[in-house]
Formats: sequence, C-alpha cells, structure tokens
Amino acid sequence: MLRSVRDYFNSLLLVELFKGLQLTGAYLFKRKFTVQYPEEKIPVSPRFRGLHALRRYPNGEERCIACKLCEAVCPALAITIEAEPRADGSRRTTRYEIDLFKCIYCGFCEESCPVDSIVETSIYEYHFEQLGDNVMTKEKLLAIGDQYEAEIAEARLKDAPYR
Amino acid sequence: MSDKITIEIDGRSCEAAAGEMIIAVADREGIPIPRFCYHPKLSVAANCRMCLVEAEQNGRPFPKPVPACATPVGTGLKVWTRSAKALDAQRSTMEFLLINHPLDCPICDQGGECELQDVAVGYGGDVSRYSEAKRVVVDEDLGALIATCMTRCIHCTRCVRFIAEIAGTRELGATGRSDHMRIGTFVATGIAHELSGNIIDLCPVGALTAKPSQFKARAWELTAHDSIAPHDAVGAKIQLHVRRGQVIRVHPRCDEAINENWLADRERFSYEGLTSVARLTHPRLKRDGVWHDVSWDVALQQVAAVFNTVPGDDLGVLLSPQSTLEELYLAQRLFRAHGCPNIDSRLRQQDFRGDAVDVVPWLGLPIADLEQQTAVLVIGSDLRQEQPLLAHRLRKAALHGATIALVNPYQVNLTHPNHQFVAAPQQLLTELAAIAAALGGRGAGEIANLIAQATPTDAHQTVANALKTAGESQHGRILLGALAAADPNYVAFKALAYLIAEVSGCGVGYLPPAANSVGVYFAGALPHVTAGNQPAATVGLNTAAMLSNPRRAYFLWGFEPDNDLIDPTAARKALNAAEFVVIGTAFTSPALEAVADVLLPIAAYAETAGTLVNAAGTWQRFQGAVAPPGEARPGWKVLRVLGNAFNCDGFNYQSAKDVHDELLTNCGECELTTAPQGEYSPLVTRPDPIELTRIGAVPIYAVDSLVRHADSLQQTPLAIPFQAGLHPDEARRRGLNTGDQVRIQQGDAVMTTTVVIDTTVAIGTIRIPAGIIDSEQLGAQIGAVSFSRV
Amino acid sequence: MSFRTAPPAQLYTGDKQALFTAELRTAIENEIAKYPAERKQSAVMASLTLVQDANGGCLTIALMDQVAAYLDMPPIAVYEVASFYGMYDLEPVGRHKVCVCNSISCLLNGSDELLTHIEHKYGVAAGGTTSDGKVTFKEFECLGACKDAPVVLIDKTYHERLTPAALDQLIDELD
Repeated sequence: MLRSVRDYFNSLLLVELFKGLQLTGAYLFKRKFTVQYPEEKIPVSPRFRGLHALRRYPNGEERCIACKLCEAVCPALAITIEAEPRADGSRRTTRYEIDLFKCIYCGFCEESCPVDSIVETSIYEYHFEQLGDNVMTKEKLLAIGDQYEAEIAEARLKDAPYR
Repeated sequence: MSDKITIEIDGRSCEAAAGEMIIAVADREGIPIPRFCYHPKLSVAANCRMCLVEAEQNGRPFPKPVPACATPVGTGLKVWTRSAKALDAQRSTMEFLLINHPLDCPICDQGGECELQDVAVGYGGDVSRYSEAKRVVVDEDLGALIATCMTRCIHCTRCVRFIAEIAGTRELGATGRSDHMRIGTFVATGIAHELSGNIIDLCPVGALTAKPSQFKARAWELTAHDSIAPHDAVGAKIQLHVRRGQVIRVHPRCDEAINENWLADRERFSYEGLTSVARLTHPRLKRDGVWHDVSWDVALQQVAAVFNTVPGDDLGVLLSPQSTLEELYLAQRLFRAHGCPNIDSRLRQQDFRGDAVDVVPWLGLPIADLEQQTAVLVIGSDLRQEQPLLAHRLRKAALHGATIALVNPYQVNLTHPNHQFVAAPQQLLTELAAIAAALGGRGAGEIANLIAQATPTDAHQTVANALKTAGESQHGRILLGALAAADPNYVAFKALAYLIAEVSGCGVGYLPPAANSVGVYFAGALPHVTAGNQPAATVGLNTAAMLSNPRRAYFLWGFEPDNDLIDPTAARKALNAAEFVVIGTAFTSPALEAVADVLLPIAAYAETAGTLVNAAGTWQRFQGAVAPPGEARPGWKVLRVLGNAFNCDGFNYQSAKDVHDELLTNCGECELTTAPQGEYSPLVTRPDPIELTRIGAVPIYAVDSLVRHADSLQQTPLAIPFQAGLHPDEARRRGLNTGDQVRIQQGDAVMTTTVVIDTTVAIGTIRIPAGIIDSEQLGAQIGAVSFSRV
Repeated sequence: MSFRTAPPAQLYTGDKQALFTAELRTAIENEIAKYPAERKQSAVMASLTLVQDANGGCLTIALMDQVAAYLDMPPIAVYEVASFYGMYDLEPVGRHKVCVCNSISCLLNGSDELLTHIEHKYGVAAGGTTSDGKVTFKEFECLGACKDAPVVLIDKTYHERLTPAALDQLIDELD
C-alpha cells in the first residue's frame, strides 16, 4: 500500500529522470575518453597481432628459411609454403602465402618462427577490394616487412624482456 | 634349441641365443635402447656410445656401463637399460653428441624424422653447457642423388659400413682424428653405386639427405602410401611419400623375403619422372599429319572404329612387361576377343624358338634363398645393373663362400669373389659347353658337337666342381639373365643351361628383366599363352614376327618403341608402314608422335592400382597414391572402356581389384615349375664369320620411360652415354683410340659414335648400349655390326 | 664381415714391381713378413713411414694409393691411417720436424710455453714451416714420455725436459 503511493509520487515528479540527468550532467564536466578515429588513434601494445609481415636481415637477406613450422602450427591452415633450394644452395620458400580470410590472428606463426621472420605487425587498417587480395603472397609480405621494419624491430625490442 | 639362454633385461626375463648382442635381444623384446651407430644389417661399430646400459653377470656388476650393441649375452646376465647409472651414461653421451651438432633443425631435411632429434627429446638437456666454438666440416660432393651437410655428422659410420659391407666398394671412410675426424671419400670421387641411396635412410641425422627432394617437404607434411617398386623383378616393397598430390620421395619397406631394408636407387629416385614435362596429359589424335588434343570419347571411338575394320590377324599387340597384371590381362582379353592372337610382351627377345617348351621364366626359388646357394652360374647378365637387389643377395652368398660364376659378353663389375668367362656371344656357348663337358655332360644334336669340341680349362673345371657339389646339396643354381634373353641364339643358352643343370643337379632360374616379366604368363599376354598360363588355342605372332611381317595396325602399350624394343630400327620400319598405330603411354616424345596415330595418356606406377608378380612368383597388389596428370587415366580403366567400345562382353569391372580377382580365379591352378616341357632342339646358328658383334646391354637407368625421365638418375655416372666400347686389342688392330669417331653399321641402320677403349669388353664384340638416346638409330641389341672410321 | 677386414672391391691388377724403388719394396716386404700372410695390411703404418721418409717427409695421395695397391687395401683405408696419426704429413714439410707434445703432463710442465716461444721466435704457428724451409713445427698428441715432460720430438730423436732456450739450441744445431 505504502509502496504503491511512493511509486506514484516518484513517477509524477520524474525523480528517476532527474537521477539519470544528474549522472549525465556529472559526465559533462569530466575528462573525455572518446578517441577521434581516424584522426586520433589509441596506443597499440607491442604484442598487438595485426597484419602479417616477413622480415629481412639488415643485409637484405630474407629471414625465412622455409622450415614450415608456422605452416604446421597454424590452427586455421591459413599458411601455404612451397620450398626448394635456391641457386646458392640455401633453403628458401618459392611460395609463402597467408590467406587472411582463414587467419585467426592467434600469433602462433610468430611464436613458432625460429628466425623471427613471420611477424604480426601492429597494422590493423587494411581492406581487400577483390577476391584473391585476401591471399598475402610472399612479395606482399616482404614488402610490408621492408616498409615497417623499424616499427617491427622496436616492438620486438620492447617485448623482449618479457619473453 | 639347446644353446638358448635366459637373461634378464629391466627385470624381465628374455630368451636369447648365446653370443647375441644385448641390443638385439632388447629389440626383439620391444625394450627400447637408444642408439645411433647400431644397425642390425651392419657390423657392430660401438662408436656412438648411446646404447650404454648397466649390467651384471652372475652377481658381479660390470665396472662401467657397457654398450648394448657390442656386449654379447651370457648366462646370468642382468641388464638395466633405465637405471640411474645407465640413464646418466646415456645423457652424458647425448650431451657430447650435441656439442658439435648444429642447431639447424629448421633447415634440415631430417628435421621431424631425425633419430638424433628424437633421442635428444628423451635424453638431451634443455640448455647446453658448451660455449666454445662448434666444429664446421666441409661438405662432400657425393653426386646427384645424395646431399650432404657433414657438419651435422655424428660419426656413427653407418654409411661407411654400408658402402663397405653391403655395396662392397669401400669408398667412404673416416679420415682424421678427434674433432678433425670427417666422413667422406677423402679424394672427392663421389659414390657410384646402384644402392647408394640407402645411406640416406641409414644416416640417423641430416648429414646425408636425398638431393632430388631436398628442401621440398618436411616429414610431417607427407602421407605414406604403400606400393611396389616397378623397375625390376624383385618387386621391392616401397612407401611413396606424397604431399599435395605429388610423390616427394620413395622409401623402402622392410621385407626380409624380398628387399630386406634396402632399395635400389633406380626405384628410389625414378619418381622424378612422374612430373616430367614429357608426360602425356591428353588423348591425342593425328588428323592429316597434325596432332590434336581430343577427348577420351573421341580417341577411343576412333581406335575402336579403325580396329573394327582390321581383321584380328592383321593386328599386332605389344605390351610392356612393366604394365600391371590387370592391364596385361585386359589387353589380351580384349584383343583375343577381337580375334587377334598376335600379342606379345617380350620386347627384348629375338629368339622365340623355345616357346613350345618354355616354362615361366621365374627365379625358381624364393628370393631370400639365393643367399643359401653355394654355387651359382649366371649366364648373360650384368648383375648389378639388371638386378641390383638380387646381385646383393648373390654377393651375400659369395661372401659366405659360394662360388659365383658368370658367363658374359663383357666383364661385369662385381664386388665379391667371382669367376668370369668373357667371350663374344658365339664363343659363350663354347664356354658353357666347356663347363658342361667338365661335368661330363653329353647333350644331343648340335649341343653334343659343341661339347665334344670344348676343351675345359682349370677354371671351367673349378666352376663345374662347385656346381656339382652344390647340386648334390640342392644349393646350386643356373641363372639366365637379360643378355642371354636378348641373344639371337637364346634357345642354345637355355639348352646348355638345362644340360648343365641336369648333370650337376642344380636348378635353373631366370632373372626376369621387368617388373612383370613373370606376370605376363599369368595374364596371358603372350602369343602362345593365354590367361592363367594356359596354352593358347591359336598361337599368334611373337614380337620379332610382328615386326618383321608388318601388321596393318598396331596397339602398343606402356613403352617407347625406340627405346624399349630390341630392334628399334625394325620397329620403326614396321610402325611407319602400318596404317594405324595406337600407343598407350605415360610419356610422349617426337619419336612416338612420328609413328603413332593415336596417343592414349595412361597413368604411371604411382598413379594406378595394380598387381606385379615378382621374380619369385609372388603377387603383390598396390594402390595408386597420386592422381595422374591432366586427362591421363589408369591403364585398366582405359582398357575397360575400350572393351566396351569394342562391344566385348564382361568388361564391367568396377575396380582394379575386380580384374585382379577374375584373373586370380583363372590362375587358381597355376604352379610355377622349372623343368621345361620337352627338349630344346636348338639350331646353334653358325652365322658367317662376322667382324664384330654388338653387345647392347641396357644401362641401369634406361630400362623404362619413367627411369629415363628421372633427371637425377640421368646425372649419375651409371647413366652411360651412347658410345662404342672396344677391347684394346680390337682397337689396336684397327688403329683406333679413345675419342675417335666411328660409323657403326648394323643392317641398314647407320650411326656415328665415339670409341672408348674398354678392357672389360670381349674380343670380337663392340659394346654399344641400348635403350638410350641415339641407340634407336641402330638395330638389334645383340647382332653383327661393321664399322668404319669417320 | 666387418668393413675393417673387407677386401677391396678390385685388387690392384698392375705390376706391383713397378711401384716404389727396389730398396723401398724390400723394406716394405720386410715389414709385411712380420705379419701372417692374410694380414698383409698390418704393415700399413710401417710402409707409410718408409714411403714418407723416402719422399721428403710427406705423403701424397698418389703415394698413399701406391701403398694401398701394394698391400691390397682399399685406398680410403690407407687415407684413414695416414690422416689419423700425427707422424704422417700430408702437406709438404721442411727439412726437419719439431714435434712438441701437447698432452697433459707436458702441458703442465710447460709445453705451451715452448709453443708460444716457437711462435714468437720463429714466426710460425704449430703446423707451419719456417720461411727458409728448415723446420716444420708440429703440435703432437702424447709422445708417451710423460715422466720427462715436456718432450719434443726432433726428427726421430726424443728430447726431454726442454726449456725454450734448450729448444733453441737444438734447433740451431740442425743443418
């Protein structure tokens, strides 16, 4: 009985509305969290697992030695590798492809790589315009590696003490 | 047995023969002991020290851990393979082995199937205590088949022992000392042996890996499919390792009765031919001299349409003895139903006079029993080239003291004690007659004349005595090889072989040249034999007759007439004269396109299911492992559809097994015998005195299309080029030297080639290989030639 | 059959009397005579020593092949022996060989000092030959004379308890 009378006055005087407005009003004057993407970007962890890249050594030699551990460990079977001896007798891939539609960005490939060749960069802004673009070929991956080598190296360095 | 003793390993009591090594007993009992250098087929080296175990005998412990591979068992022996002391010793050994072993597993082809990796997981420490510089060793160049990375070598010396004990050539050694020790030839000679590929399997680490498949696949990517080796009559059991529909490599499967652990290089690396650019991938049809790719329907309808207009007797059917039993059976059924009795699959034989009395040319005994022979007379066979694994069995027999004698038109290279009688083909009969005479054989007809004229020397007598002794204990064997089968006077060889066998008490056997040379008798792919090795109602023309009396149309299956027929020139002539030639083949070539009208792409061995009958008469079925390229189809399917196109009854097989089962029912009563069904009545042809006889042995890597298209095999020293080997005396008489160009004339065929002085060639002969490029310009493998200097 | 005793695939078919000189053959025959006839290969070390001494102190592959042919051994078996033992030299050497023992007793008694001394004084490391072709210095595994360490083998003579100065004197006395 008493409860129904109280509820009646609460709704008549819009008490809950004002409670809500009070919270809104409080936030109006607090520090803002909104990031104005794409003008602004949130900081990215060095462990971020974004678009893949194949790295090179400073002398320009590709790191990948075609051990195929990434292919073996990939839970989504997104990696395809073909290998054969290069003219100088070293073991190299002739085909290194990652299907980004299959990839689940788990980072196992990076973990398994004995030469830090395949890495997941902090790039997360990319798109495909045509079917087939989703397959990252060796050339594309190496190009990404070449372009972002400085960032990739820095991220590995930052993470190194925790490995 | 009375000399069985009981020992105790890890608390389990095990029965053992006195003198056996601990590791052999443990292996039999399934108790694992880590090891690298020990191999049951090789001598004990005890140099890896990985198999150290703790032991005591009659209550007295051995002061130190003992190597299980080199400690013979005795009464009261107790062994602990997993005790603290044993494990400590094993771990320490592992640490030492890993000191100098590079950590390059990711780029090592052995990675994933490496004995060192496996054992390191069990015994290795996770951190190395070694911080000094590791050893680096310069790689060896062991030829086109074996890739080396000698830094990985752990000096188990399995390869050294294999090459010395099994191959018998002692080319590898361990030179240097301590950390300067290295395995190799020291003088960079490479290895040229037909079994060399086995050291790849033996190597417990990645120091020796297969070069043709180098870096192509990791162990875990491969699916293994059981199969049977298709290039010789041993029928070695193999495993095809397949990745994404492509055979990456071939490994042997162990079968003590057939190939033991070994595999010849020819079987191991021939898979390379499967991906050759010369593969035929579409049915092709020649219309007005122009080749067109057509569909199977069009091609087969065309074949049926033309063959229906040709009377059966005007047809010639030549089948490769390498084809599966199913293909051979279906082809002969098809053409016999069509009224064509002219079916043959003995492509490298000239003399068919013995057909009426011939038995199935099989080995005459199980393959493993060759080792127990105490005397073997091999007639006309370049053993190691023709039959690498049978040659190995005979080598084992020889090392146990057996007398191995060979009668050949050239000296063959063997790695065991042997007696060789080398002469021109005509004189070979005299040599055999001399052995027969030494045994007191008489013979009849011309053979009797030969024997009467023969004067046995001491060498003949020695061999005769050995055969006699062996014959008395049922351990003697006369074997006829491919060089005898190719001789224009094969019957005389057979007659003498049986005569020698009769007087010495030995058995006669044959070294069948191809994978299914025995199977063709069961399949009935012969002019005088029909399915189930039954005599044919109508005896057709044999290979020689089919080519010398050209038929109107030919059906060729599974071979290249230029390389696989004994007389390529005659074959080309006959095929060119024919109205219509159909060739079912896995490979195409300009030569094939020149003679054929229809080319049917058929599957090669790894791509089809089938059955092969080996030298000992064992039927071995296998399944296809990869898909044939393009439109190529398994041969039995092509023949089944062709049967339907011909409106033959009963061509509704669902699988190769259906065909196999039907044939097996036909062969229910077949038993292999060695006694001929009558007397060979040979006419020992005494041709006009000829200047020189050509000896055209087929080199080991030219026996069939697949091998000829395997690039790595062709790069080995065993793949010999087209050249004319002459005895120094013959060459001197003609004023010739190595490198001189000569024009060889054989019948109408003429070809220019280079002279090589070769002391192994018999006087009166000229050795010009067959089955290789340029040899197709000449005539029969064995036959008269004349030559002039260019 | 062990590969150690496996016969060579092909026995030498050439004329053995054409190998080496007559004196050398006689000397080798004397060594062979010390062993049972079927153990001819036991004479390999002695034969190699004789052949090496007769050929300016070093062995070539051709010479080792001849020894192999003479003793009916596979050539690789001779290479194994010749490359294993320190007293065989497979590279050209100087007129004299000075072999410094590097094993434990000698090392504790100063063989490393001798080696350092040699390197400084003569300008060649162990294994090298002086530029005038007089002496080849070698570091040698245990010479078996530990009680008088450090030991140096000069040509065929042992010299014991050597100091750098004593070694210099010995080297100076060489012609």
